[in-house]
Amino acid sequence: MPLTTEEMILNMGPHHPSTHGVLRFILRTDGEVIYSCHPDVGFLHRGLEKIAEKVSYAQFMPYTDRIDYLAAMNCNLGYAITVERLAGIEVPPRAEYIRVMVAELNRIISHLISVGTFALDIGAVTPFTHALRERERVNDLFEELCGARLTYNYVRFGGVAFDLPAGFLEAVSSFLDYFEPRLAQFNRLISKNKIFKERLWQVGAISAEDALGYSLAGPNLRASGIDWDLRRDESYSVYADLDFEVPVAGTEFGQIGDCYNRYWLRIREMEQSIRILRQCVAAMPAGPFWNRSKRKLKPPPGEIYVRTEAPRGELGYYLISRGDDRPYRMKIRTGSFTAMSIVEKMSPGLMVADLVALIASLDVIAPEIDR
Amino acid sequence: MQILDILSKIKQRFGATDLVWIDDSGAEPYLAIPRESLRPVALFLKEDPQLFFDTLMSLSGVHQIGEPEGLEVVYHLYSIRRRHRFIVKVRLERPLAFPHFYLRVDTVSDIWPAAGWMEREVYDMFGIHFMGHKDFRRLLLPPDWEGYPLLKDYQEPATYQGISTSREEVEPEEQR
Repeated sequence: MPLTTEEMILNMGPHHPSTHGVLRFILRTDGEVIYSCHPDVGFLHRGLEKIAEKVSYAQFMPYTDRIDYLAAMNCNLGYAITVERLAGIEVPPRAEYIRVMVAELNRIISHLISVGTFALDIGAVTPFTHALRERERVNDLFEELCGARLTYNYVRFGGVAFDLPAGFLEAVSSFLDYFEPRLAQFNRLISKNKIFKERLWQVGAISAEDALGYSLAGPNLRASGIDWDLRRDESYSVYADLDFEVPVAGTEFGQIGDCYNRYWLRIREMEQSIRILRQCVAAMPAGPFWNRSKRKLKPPPGEIYVRTEAPRGELGYYLISRGDDRPYRMKIRTGSFTAMSIVEKMSPGLMVADLVALIASLDVIAPEIDR
Repeated sequence: MQILDILSKIKQRFGATDLVWIDDSGAEPYLAIPRESLRPVALFLKEDPQLFFDTLMSLSGVHQIGEPEGLEVVYHLYSIRRRHRFIVKVRLERPLAFPHFYLRVDTVSDIWPAAGWMEREVYDMFGIHFMGHKDFRRLLLPPDWEGYPLLKDYQEPATYQGISTSREEVEPEEQR
């Protein structure tokens, strides 16, 4: 007589250490193996798109911080670029360099949280404390720059809110000098760790076809072997003048598109961000930092879809203006939203513990899904 | 491919009768198509080897008020392998006399799987039904929520499951 086991419905979340915010999964399992997984999202839905229709253009800027609170600068920047393109506002070169600099600093600390919590979810506690220690330095830099440590509200239409404080560029370079060897140390500690690698190789491999079909973006897309980066391919701000590489998953580690590749790409992106930051520090032009426009901004009627490369991939703002002082419609398309939608497809056949690795490797963050 | 080459290719295949090219100043040009031709046009855009739109950047709903009133579903398409973009819009009339008229459009979630969740979100916020969708439920709001919040004439319910949705109900001393 064959041994049979019973199916079980398992509820994971909304409060679970591995869900990165408030997320719930309804799993149908047989023992440790998942038959199906239904993500239940929306716990952090704050109606940002509706709020956008009720407040003026400038007033919506602080709300963009809350789209992705780990990468608030990038969300600020994407929104500012969208409105500037529609309203035809010029940005002085110094502001462009400051923006790229803060965006890349924010990318580093966002990826630090991502790789740190990834290791934590797998069961390695120490790397997370190291990642947070490094992140603290950048938080201090941002605090010096704009007074806030998490939700910055720093970018403005036509520039940035404050000029760099005295000695800021030196502080950034000294952070980079400090951080570069620390990243190598971090790699020795966890990235090149044999147990960690073997835990993640060939787990949750997403094919290039699926990655494109599900509109994955950013590191998740590049981990599936697709050479695509908005900073290079739809260049905005001053990224075209900067020299950097776009890391793409190759065959050197495991299988293309698996959890380890997604992890490793974030480490390599941090290296590229360091490279971009050094160029920004060296090339920082003098001049005005803010081309102030009217407080009550009224872009001409029209619509525009602008996307920028946030740490979690494509951050798109679809803005419709009817010539009023507030947006007629604002749709925010985020990287986590599409990344979460592929979990349903990828999870059947995984172990419950591998689902944790898959979610952590996709680097989803709940407020970005729910908005 | 240039955007006008893409357009002429579509017109060649489907005829120019009910496809309307709209190129207002200030807006990105887009192709307005009737509801019935959505699936054939979408399949053609995805599968034609020269067009090859492999990703759906964004799928949004828009409620256009004024004359004429209606809802729009906007498809922002991009081809990562061919490096070109294209916008398709489907316009749905909502007769003023029937505010809860059953709005329907065909799903594209089998063509671009990413549309699966995006269509659920549009249904959640605008009440547009996507026919043929495999798992059609609300996404962000609770399943028993009433109304579709991103409609311009949306009235927020006063209570949800006995809990007030307004702030006035809070006791003054709790407000600090």
